[in-house]
Amino acid sequence: MITVQVEGLAKTFFDEARGAIHAVDGVSFECRAGTIFGLLGANGAGKTTTLRMLATILRPTAGRARVMGHDVVAEPEVVRRSLGFYSASTALYPRLTARETLEFFARVNRYPRERVGARVDELVERFGIDRFESVRVEKLSSGMKQKVSIARTVVHDPPVLVFDEPTVGLDVINALEMQDVIRALRAEGKTIIFSTHVMSEAEKLCDTIVIIHGGRLLASGSLEEHRRATGKHYLEDIFVQYVREGG
Amino acid sequence: MVDGGGGVLGTLYRYELRMLLRDTRTIAIAVVAPLLLFPVLILLAREAERRREAVIERATYRYALTGTEEDFAYYRVQEALAIETFDPDTAARPPATFLHDRSPNPDSLVRAGAIQVVVEGLAADEYLRVRARELAERPGEDSAALAELAELPEVPVLRLHYRTDSDVSRAAFERLQERLEQVRRQQRDSVYRAYGLAIDLSELGGLEARNVATGERETGALLGVLLTPLLLFLMLSGGSIVAVDAISGEKERGTLETLLTTAARRSEIVAAKQLAVVTVGIVVTVVNLANLFVYIVLDLIELPQELAVSIGPLSLLVLLALYLPLTVLVSSGLLLISGWAKSYKEYQLYFLPLFAVVFLPSLAVLLPGMELGSAIALVPVAGVAVAVREVMLGELDWPFLALAALSTGGAAWGAARLTERALSTERLISGTELDQADLAGGPALFPRRVLRWFGLLWVVLLVSSAWAGESLGLVRQVLFNVVGLFFGGSLLMVRAYRLELRAAFALRPAPAAAWPAVLIGAPAALVIGVGLAEAFQRFVPVPEEVLRSFGQFLGAGELPLWQIVLILAVIPGVFEELAFRGVLMHGLAPRLRPVPLALAVGAIFGIFHVSLWRIVPTAYLGVVLAAVVLLTGSIYPAMLWHALNNLIAIVPVELGWVSEDYDLPMWSYPAASAGLALSFTLLWWTRRAAGKMQHVGTGPGGGRP
Repeated sequence: MITVQVEGLAKTFFDEARGAIHAVDGVSFECRAGTIFGLLGANGAGKTTTLRMLATILRPTAGRARVMGHDVVAEPEVVRRSLGFYSASTALYPRLTARETLEFFARVNRYPRERVGARVDELVERFGIDRFESVRVEKLSSGMKQKVSIARTVVHDPPVLVFDEPTVGLDVINALEMQDVIRALRAEGKTIIFSTHVMSEAEKLCDTIVIIHGGRLLASGSLEEHRRATGKHYLEDIFVQYVREGG
Repeated sequence: MVDGGGGVLGTLYRYELRMLLRDTRTIAIAVVAPLLLFPVLILLAREAERRREAVIERATYRYALTGTEEDFAYYRVQEALAIETFDPDTAARPPATFLHDRSPNPDSLVRAGAIQVVVEGLAADEYLRVRARELAERPGEDSAALAELAELPEVPVLRLHYRTDSDVSRAAFERLQERLEQVRRQQRDSVYRAYGLAIDLSELGGLEARNVATGERETGALLGVLLTPLLLFLMLSGGSIVAVDAISGEKERGTLETLLTTAARRSEIVAAKQLAVVTVGIVVTVVNLANLFVYIVLDLIELPQELAVSIGPLSLLVLLALYLPLTVLVSSGLLLISGWAKSYKEYQLYFLPLFAVVFLPSLAVLLPGMELGSAIALVPVAGVAVAVREVMLGELDWPFLALAALSTGGAAWGAARLTERALSTERLISGTELDQADLAGGPALFPRRVLRWFGLLWVVLLVSSAWAGESLGLVRQVLFNVVGLFFGGSLLMVRAYRLELRAAFALRPAPAAAWPAVLIGAPAALVIGVGLAEAFQRFVPVPEEVLRSFGQFLGAGELPLWQIVLILAVIPGVFEELAFRGVLMHGLAPRLRPVPLALAVGAIFGIFHVSLWRIVPTAYLGVVLAAVVLLTGSIYPAMLWHALNNLIAIVPVELGWVSEDYDLPMWSYPAASAGLALSFTLLWWTRRAAGKMQHVGTGPGGGRP
């Protein structure tokens, strides 16, 4: 089932010093339920801008995008209800406890009120938050915060989950835990859109890998398909070849 | 998934307050500290004042004598000190002790603080020389002072030298001056007596003052003036505690992006934050007022003797209705700057200008003679401040109270919308503020800037009217406002945004049928305008003095006819049209459909006529003229219409054909309505021809939408 459709999506920023900057330049792709869709690109390639347009935080300059059949421009609130957004820049409220954080985000994402308590209990147990559920976020370690952040992202049980460079700044153990969570969410039938510039992560996790560079989509397919198309084995080499050909 | 219902706003609000209450440092600094600090500061200030008074009371003042008439000074001072010591009036205060100090250079001792006052006795000629020299040393020639000097009688003069920066020196001077004045009066009386003219003032007739204001009105006048500025101050400082954290704080912490990716609507987020700002603002206000009350009970703050508050339930409701939009305006303003600011620091930078913009208008209530029944009712905040004073005085002038509430309510609505937009803008996330039009500038940017330009022109118009205004006289004021300000400003806009001149001023040929339509429509529209103005005056009567001052200002009777026609008909007809139906309409056209466009242009044109009683008829004329330009695509018919309108309105009266209070017969209104309908039917009929002519006249894209 196709859950996310992106057609000719573009975003241009205007800067006094640099003029028009085409951060995303006509990107098209589709994502299916129960798969991990990887956006692979260097810093500044346009990954975050693309994902922010999907999350309705930025308005596309051109093109269109649909999440669960809803247009991101015409129905932003409905789109956001269907979507969980996680990134290194989405912080948590420091003065709320872990449990309050989950309750707050469940409610503001319009999760059925009578089921909020049970849903929070379920996530507290699943992510091992029970040990510190009454502790304020400002007093948690970075690993604990990461768990609360993931639980916050999925608390309203959205069918589409966006993870924008989720392992940036995490140690190896926490990064591996994050990967396990993402795999488990795929197994539940969620659509995962996962952006990274770490090749090994994309290799291990993604069912489909899209290579994005300079705001343009250079190639899309499974790892095997990329290998066949380029004749290279390692994703790093595949990526470099696409960038050279595309550049 | 099922919709969780309408509880998102409540959730956002509750959690906003919960997080604030957990911020103990902010609570301590913003709420608890003032509660503890204010009494301490008040006690310290009172103690300082008490000590200062005690020092002055106990002080022994040292004085010195100097000058060519030192003996004269000596005897006068001795007499003055005798009164200070023995006069029964001094029973209310202990007599001051003065000691005579001898010094060759007393002024330097005054400056050093060793003595407090020097009495210089000067012979008349010497005094004239000294004063003339002092006046010559001053920059600029003070001819009035020199003339006054020339008329002085030839008698010795006492000059007191003292320091205003020293409490003790000033107190010494004040006492000595008071007593020397008494000596002078006694001498005058003794001269009168010597000539047999001894008379006591009480023999000339009694004089007594009696205050007829009730205690309630006095209290109302006092509280009515203080209440709005005080509440605004407390609301701004209290609400700021939440506002700073609400958006700029969230941006700094990175929680705003998290919040914006939730299913909460932007309007819900803004409303919840606004409610939180209002709640905390009200709590801080109540806490501070309670604090004030405690000081009053503890006698730390003294109130006037006859304080009597009497506000009925109706007045209380009116006060609430006036303060509600003000509260929303304050909270929206605070949130707006929080949305604009990228950090706490930037918020603090924006806070002071916001404080000035919101707080200063409330001081309009302090201006002498400021009454609600004036254009002040249309000024947000200022209108409410003046309205509150009148309500406190028990005066309920409903139309103006409604206008005051509506003007502030309108500003509050605008600020709330701007805040919502600030939260929707990508600048919050992407850090960039520009878009294509910003970057390119020029004509694409003009539609977004045109209102700012006209806002600026309006402010210049207000300020120049307040400064020079009627003193300029009719001719110069019309030339300055209409030609200099409106047309000059329009030319500046054309230049700044590289607008195509013919398109910006709608300088396109008009279809032939437009001209008879104008000749029929202009007098017809004027008659209806007169009817509208009269209807408006039934609700809001024009005060006599406004009519009189407007008549005096026009003073057109002194001008020859051709000048009246030129100044009051031709110049406004040409240049106001170029500015309002030309550039303003050109700027607003891409953003508004035709009907709202005509209404907006008319309303702005009305507001530029400042006086409340002229706004309705001129706004109506503005709407009609905008419709004429929309239908003909050309400015020329509107120019003729406008000039004819002014001509017919003014010239017959000026030439004495009809009297100033001439009433139109009732039949003229249906006749005028029919004429106006005929005129617009003609214009409607010709609009297709107008469209073709625009195409020929300006090329593709040059026409007005």
